[in-house]
Amino acid sequence: MLSGMLIFGLLAGCGSNVRLDPPTIPTPLIVKVPASIGLRMPAEFQHFVHDEEIIGREQWSIDFGSSNAALFTQLFGFMFERVTLVSATDDPKDLAIDALIEPSIEAFEFSVPNQSKTESFAVWIRYRIKVYDQHGDEVANWPVSAYGKSQTSSLSGTQALQRAAILAIRDAAALMIMKLDEATGIGQLAAARARANTAVVSEEEPPSDSE
Amino acid sequence: MTVNSRILRNPIMVVGALALAGCITSRVEDARINSTGIEAGEGVVVMAKSYHLGNETEEKYIQCIERGLARGASSLRVIPHREFVDSLFPWFEPRTAPSETKHLPKLMEYPGVVDRIAQQKVRYIIWLDGDTERVAGGGSLSCAVGPGGGGCFGFAWWQNQADYEAAVWDINELEAAGTVTTDVSGTSFMPAIVIPIPLIARPQAKACKTLADQLQRFIVNDGGGDSA
Repeated sequence: MLSGMLIFGLLAGCGSNVRLDPPTIPTPLIVKVPASIGLRMPAEFQHFVHDEEIIGREQWSIDFGSSNAALFTQLFGFMFERVTLVSATDDPKDLAIDALIEPSIEAFEFSVPNQSKTESFAVWIRYRIKVYDQHGDEVANWPVSAYGKSQTSSLSGTQALQRAAILAIRDAAALMIMKLDEATGIGQLAAARARANTAVVSEEEPPSDSE
Repeated sequence: MTVNSRILRNPIMVVGALALAGCITSRVEDARINSTGIEAGEGVVVMAKSYHLGNETEEKYIQCIERGLARGASSLRVIPHREFVDSLFPWFEPRTAPSETKHLPKLMEYPGVVDRIAQQKVRYIIWLDGDTERVAGGGSLSCAVGPGGGGCFGFAWWQNQADYEAAVWDINELEAAGTVTTDVSGTSFMPAIVIPIPLIARPQAKACKTLADQLQRFIVNDGGGDSA
């Protein structure tokens, strides 16, 4: 029985499962964008799993768990004055937000030391950030390509891959902090909405009775 | 009598211990651009040049340099690099870290950066570039196991090269202070007549010690002048 299981195991090849713990990023040294945003995260984004067989070698399964949801919630909390988590059924028109952000993972790749002929694991993640205005119209569609690398010299294989994935996520966070507002114009949306609200308020104000 | 003194008094054991190390040749030199010096309480940070730029410096090498700078008669206060990077997030990430001193004035304009650096009393940032790799090898070694026992026969050798450069940036002056480089070549041998006898050279460890020692002298500036 035991030998049968061993033989089956050998025939099936080696497999490695990596599960990421939700990462945290340090409080960034930035000024918040004065905007109120909604954050809508699709189910497949919140529970992203990547399975891949490296031909003739190993089967890898990388489970992000709630890492992406935790990161984006924390990140946007640092970046914007107000963040509202929005479900798939919520209509942005009913929410007092300047913009709705919907992230997704468009591509995920990794390499193991045998492939790269180095002692490193590397991870590439391409996120897609879609931004909608308060009416639900798409106003920006921005790809965020992130990269992380970790060596195996002081970590086991699965730990090094975990570390590379966390570094890729952190790289994405750094890129978004630097470029998100410029690439998507969320700050401008917020400013335009604030101007529109001010105009409406002035129109509604009764004329002054100075006479 | 301690174990060490027993070993030292036995010449055969001393010769045997020396023979178990491979051959190493090393070179270290510095190129000074500006004068250095460090006040009490000031510290240094050791960082790897970004892997986005193709650098492969090993994490364990960075830690080795950190330990090396923090010990000895000219020990320096070393701020752990991960702690420093976290405290200045996101401005020292592999993607965002300044690659040249000309980027430092812009970096200092970001909110909170000057204060965080001042809080930690960081005087110098040391950027490491380089790695250790196998550059040659050869020979043949085969082992066999039979009912009556086993053994190996043959001879194998390999050569590792550790090349590192440390660029020292003076954060007070926002300019480069200079560079320290080390090149260490180590050849290891493995002769085997029944039992393999490894004669291992450790060039990375040697490159760590020589670079850390030279960096201490470079920063404290007790070498009495410029060298190249």
